[in-house]
Amino acid sequence: MTADVSELTDIEQDALAEIANMGVSRAAASLRQMVGEQVLLSVPSVKIVSRQAASKLVERGNTRKLVGVQQSFDGPFAGKAILIFPEAQSLELVRSIVGEEHSLEDVIDLEQEALAETGNIILNGCLATIANVLHKTMRMSLPTIVRGDGETLFEVGSETVGGNLVLFLYIDFNIKNRDIHGFIALLMDLPSINALKEIVADFISGIEKQSVGHAG
Amino acid sequence: MLDNVAALGLGPVFDTVDIGLVVLDSDIRVVAWNDWMARVTGRPSKDVIGKTLHEVFPDLQSPRLITAIDDSFAAGSSSVLTHTLNKLFSLSDGHGELLLHNIVVRPVVSNAQVFCLLQVSDVTVAVTRERILRERQNARYHAIVDSAPDAIITINPDRTIQWANGAAEDVFGYGLSELLGQKIDLLLDKDSALLSYLADDAVFPETDRAIGVTGKYKDGESGSFEVSLGHWTADQRDFVTTIWRDVSERVASDRALREARDALEKINQDLETRVEERTRENEVAMRQLHESQKMESIGQLTGGIAHDFNNLLAIILGSLGLLKKAVPDDARVARLLDRAIQGAERGATLTTRLLAFARRQELKVTVVSLQRLMPEMLDFVRHSVGPNISINVDVAPEVASVEVDANQLELALINLAVNARDAMPDGGSLTIACHNETNGKAHGMLRDDYVCVTVTDTGEGMSEATLARAQEPFYTTKGIGKGTGLGLSMVHGFTAQSGGMMRIKSAPGKGTTVTLWLPRASERDAAEVKVVEAPPTVTSSGLRVLLVDDDILVSMGAADMLLDLGHIVTEAKSGMEALQILDADSSFDVVITDYAMPQMNGLDLAHKVQERLPKMPIIMATGYAELPSGKAFEFERLSKPYSQHDLSAALVVAMKGK
Repeated sequence: MTADVSELTDIEQDALAEIANMGVSRAAASLRQMVGEQVLLSVPSVKIVSRQAASKLVERGNTRKLVGVQQSFDGPFAGKAILIFPEAQSLELVRSIVGEEHSLEDVIDLEQEALAETGNIILNGCLATIANVLHKTMRMSLPTIVRGDGETLFEVGSETVGGNLVLFLYIDFNIKNRDIHGFIALLMDLPSINALKEIVADFISGIEKQSVGHAG
Repeated sequence: MLDNVAALGLGPVFDTVDIGLVVLDSDIRVVAWNDWMARVTGRPSKDVIGKTLHEVFPDLQSPRLITAIDDSFAAGSSSVLTHTLNKLFSLSDGHGELLLHNIVVRPVVSNAQVFCLLQVSDVTVAVTRERILRERQNARYHAIVDSAPDAIITINPDRTIQWANGAAEDVFGYGLSELLGQKIDLLLDKDSALLSYLADDAVFPETDRAIGVTGKYKDGESGSFEVSLGHWTADQRDFVTTIWRDVSERVASDRALREARDALEKINQDLETRVEERTRENEVAMRQLHESQKMESIGQLTGGIAHDFNNLLAIILGSLGLLKKAVPDDARVARLLDRAIQGAERGATLTTRLLAFARRQELKVTVVSLQRLMPEMLDFVRHSVGPNISINVDVAPEVASVEVDANQLELALINLAVNARDAMPDGGSLTIACHNETNGKAHGMLRDDYVCVTVTDTGEGMSEATLARAQEPFYTTKGIGKGTGLGLSMVHGFTAQSGGMMRIKSAPGKGTTVTLWLPRASERDAAEVKVVEAPPTVTSSGLRVLLVDDDILVSMGAADMLLDLGHIVTEAKSGMEALQILDADSSFDVVITDYAMPQMNGLDLAHKVQERLPKMPIIMATGYAELPSGKAFEFERLSKPYSQHDLSAALVVAMKGK
């Protein structure tokens, strides 16, 4: 069963990527309001992996130092959402948001707050979109910042209530002609993944009905 | 929770907390507004309840706040809005100072109704404190960094530029926004030492020493830099601050200095080489001078001995000649006399050569055509060197005539040919060539125009040591009794006395070339190439002869010869005495005088005799070239030692001119 759950069909992958892109588009609009400039966010791919696998995926390249913005959510499905950047990129992200007139020390000082708010916007965008698609509400905690390597972020090796599966999304930012690559990880337990899959199934059937409607 | 607050009567808590609380309904109208909000907006709760947020804050600029509120109703989202990223409410403290604040937006569900709670927190104190703290900490740092002429660039472990000072923009030509977020590689050659230094981005090695790198300016040019690295950490982040000192000018001036120093060194070396050369030249010149001084003194010594010896030989020869006539016709006595005469004649030949070396021989300088002389002497040369040696003579028609004593030139060439023969015991070839030389001054001569006669053999050659001494008289490499050692000395003396020189080039196994530099005859003189006249054979007798000589022995010998010839002789021992005799009796037919005499020499006497008796024939007897040079010498010459026959011939010539 786990094998079934942890595998996404092509159409499920496409649908999830579609939902995620709707979410980050919403987030991009918020960021644009805040930054006052064009912000492009996109989610090129989606997959379900184990925590261990996720912790390796985020350490791609030589970058083991990571920074994450973490929010818990509860509702039709529950878990933890983490927006993850290589530490160096997070500083780039903050600088593009707060503006280049700030000195490095200012950027470092503002990083915590700005990163929390930016992550909050992006994660809210994704989660709110899922809630909208579901026509249900979810409760979401305030963002907290976590730092460390992949294993620390995904709490590998510790028994956690969040379950062992990770819905793993790549996310590309383009702010002020600067490209930043990060990840969104939704840590969920099995029931939550199943619930998510049902939502995805509803979403797909909704689209199919629309298509049929249009066709008829 | 609100129910509990209400049930417990804790409603005043809402107004007691030290943050702002605003509750909005789904129409974004204010449902609740606590005292803290009333205080910082100056508007009591009753003024705002029931109004929309826009009505309460008409100048609200943050669309993001509205989105966050919408999301909290629509999706249950909680949002954080910070003062750094958002323009929020206009709030002020009791003194009119603006309050910096963050807002947290959260959904609240009560009695199945959804509200939105805004929590407004005052961060003015914290932000101000942080700012003051940072400003205080950074003041000195920025004072240094902003005024530094060096580019200061901070990077993180993956070499991304995080910060740069104003000088960095000036130095590299990039704007700050062009630098931030770029890899520092942008400013470096891709094989730069600094890059390999920073390659391991996990660990920054510590170094005290600046790293020399080639930096790239925005315009594509390169410059030399010394980069110092400083490693620091903030909030668990690693940074490296790089300080770039542009040393292009210094590097350029170092290079110029180095080049100048190299050039100077080269000049010094050249100078040393030249000094060495000059010293060597000097040594050679000194050696040559020493050599010529030595030759000069040997020459003087030789000349002196030869001169005295000549007089003695003259007496011996004269006496023997007379004796031969006087004694009865006895074959044995005649043989002894002939042997004595031959011995004396050989002695005379020897002294002639010595005089030649000493440049004191009597030279009969005439204009000599080499084209004529060479073929005439060829047979004799061939005879001298023998059949094993082939002889080539090369005299081009354009080779000019020379002004030398023809007999001496022949003798010189024979000497050289004999030397060549001795150098080629197994045969070889001998080449005599002549050419016009027009560059004499370059060879240290007085004039430019000479004729060179070169005698080249293919013999064994000479070592340097032999060559150095070759011209010395009596120096010979031939076995004892085989040579006199006077051959080359004679040639040397002859050329020098003729106004030319001799040069020898030789090396062991490479043969020998002797070059004779001879004075070229002027064209006018060359036209008068004389054919040597045959001496008259007519004899005369019965002449009254005044014989002048300070040497009694010589005088007696000469007088005996004259008497034997049938002449009447009166002897005088000095010029003065001769003049007294002539004053008393001017009826002499001829005056024969020696040249070298104390007080009044032969020439002075001759001139005085001429004053008194212009037509008096005068014969000058000389042993060597003391007479003034020039062909204009008007008196008949008689070379010492002379035979009776020579004396007779001279008398014939002198009397013929009368």
